Amino acid sequence: MGRPRRARRTTISTGTTGRAIGNTGPAHPVRVEVSRLTKHFGAVQAVSDLSFTVEPGSVTGFLGPNGAGKTTTLRMLLGLLHPDVGTATFDGTPYAALPDPVRTVGAVLETAFHPGRSGRNHLRVYCRAAGLPVSRADEVLVQVGLADAGRRRAGGYSLGMRQRLALAGALLGDPAVLVLDEPANGLDPEGIQWLRGFLRHLAHEQGRTVLVSSHLLSEVEQTVDRVVIVGAGRLVREGTIEQLRSGADGAGIVLVRSPESVRLADVLRTGGIAVTAEDGGALSITGSTPAEVGRRAFAAGIELHELRSRTSGLEEIYFQLTAGQEQFAAPSPGSTILEETAR
Amino acid sequence: MTRLVRAEWTKLFTTRVWIGLLAGACVMAAGFAALLTAFAGETQNGQPGLPPVGDPVFEQLAFAVAADTAVLFLILGIIGMTQEYRHRTATPTFLTTPRRWRVVVAKLVAYALAAVPLALVVMAVAVLTVTVYAGARGAAPSFTGDNLEVLGRSGLVLVIYAVIGVGIGALLRNQVGAIVGALVYLFVVESIVASIGAISGAFKWMPGGAVEALTATAGGTPGFRGPDLLSAWQGGLLLLGYGLFAAFLGTVLAVRRDVV
Repeated sequence: MGRPRRARRTTISTGTTGRAIGNTGPAHPVRVEVSRLTKHFGAVQAVSDLSFTVEPGSVTGFLGPNGAGKTTTLRMLLGLLHPDVGTATFDGTPYAALPDPVRTVGAVLETAFHPGRSGRNHLRVYCRAAGLPVSRADEVLVQVGLADAGRRRAGGYSLGMRQRLALAGALLGDPAVLVLDEPANGLDPEGIQWLRGFLRHLAHEQGRTVLVSSHLLSEVEQTVDRVVIVGAGRLVREGTIEQLRSGADGAGIVLVRSPESVRLADVLRTGGIAVTAEDGGALSITGSTPAEVGRRAFAAGIELHELRSRTSGLEEIYFQLTAGQEQFAAPSPGSTILEETAR
Repeated sequence: MTRLVRAEWTKLFTTRVWIGLLAGACVMAAGFAALLTAFAGETQNGQPGLPPVGDPVFEQLAFAVAADTAVLFLILGIIGMTQEYRHRTATPTFLTTPRRWRVVVAKLVAYALAAVPLALVVMAVAVLTVTVYAGARGAAPSFTGDNLEVLGRSGLVLVIYAVIGVGIGALLRNQVGAIVGALVYLFVVESIVASIGAISGAFKWMPGGAVEALTATAGGTPGFRGPDLLSAWQGGLLLLGYGLFAAFLGTVLAVRRDVV
């Protein structure tokens, strides 16, 4: 067992951005499937009928405004909250039924340590509980760049060091799946850069399944391959970042220019498409795609001079998708944002 | 299960809580033992007070003082469980062991076993104090028969209280609330029950009454030690019953409650 591991580690340590995790990746990839999850806290509907999948070998961004139900969803995924309805499984098995959860899934949910215990001892506790050799604690401390601080009491750690320690805890079991809730919180720019490379390395080169939540698209835009966007506890959009960017799924705005703009607008409105006239005779169309607009114009024999998707800003799309879905507009003082207060 | 118990020991001995509580218990035990010895044989307002040094009843009383530090063992157990919620380590703990009842059971076992050496230290301090001080006053107690039995029972009280603490912690989860609640119960509620004639009969069925039953001196309690009590073995079983009941309730709730 020891010799092949060591051999593999030497090959991988030549890798660039992410540091080696100890072997070439999980024995077999694991797919995460969330199906019809629903959860309410008192009168607050935190998550409603939410379904999505997370594929191995890619980084999936789990996006939504604060209070959209991200943390609640992740806690249900990990068996910490009991859903009202629905299931969340890892290759078909719920977290609580996994034969060896630590070796299958690693999670960073919050930076939770006893302030009087050293980071190294904190990790050793979970090594013992999971039946891992305590030497894993030192290995993961090196991986996240905390080797020097491991023997200091965690209460004295900076926010960024706490995030790194939480990540180290998630890596202990060398898991096939990583679930990270807002892992960039408190990291300095250099730390964020490092985290991006690290997550990509884990997913792309080691074939792990990585799910990372954030309320800022810009924070994960350069890291993620796929996105799952939620708002007010419901699924808003699921797909690759390219699909989102191209507006191919109707998320963006289509700009069209035609000498017959009035007739074109009529044709499109007849087809149930929302059209607004812009300055200079252009039309802007929401909820459609350039392909569909072009097809309808062609069918009606309308000449087009310009047809493009005006969706260069991903952030803009994200705002459109999640507009008005923040839960900050609490109607009465009695109702609190449970997800936020719980953190 | 063995690895979970070892994980709990790692948690316990990698913070400084246990050192503080053990030191406190040692100081308390030494203090009580010294007080008891100092006032042995004194009369109060003409009434007979504590029996004199060398008297078998005095020796058993003196060997039982370790049990008076039980509240610190209770707090040790409470902190052991509630720190998971206070510092939010319940999340990684339950992620590592999703079958949550195993965590609570491991904690009960770990604290029961860890309380044994800690209790032995406290007992040693109490015995040492009494032996030296009472020896200086003329008669060091002997390590025989009833004396040893009372000493052993006082240690048992400490171990059971640590277990009860874990159970209470699992039940209440709030560290400050659990500790304050336990102190108010032990020092206010039980005293009131024991002192009101009409309901003082209930005292023997309460944890405090069980402790007194367990550490009562052989051959009859001296008058000041309280109202009527169960026999020692009954008291021990009752006390253990309280601990396991709290632990059982705590386990059921820990499994069913959401971890937020």
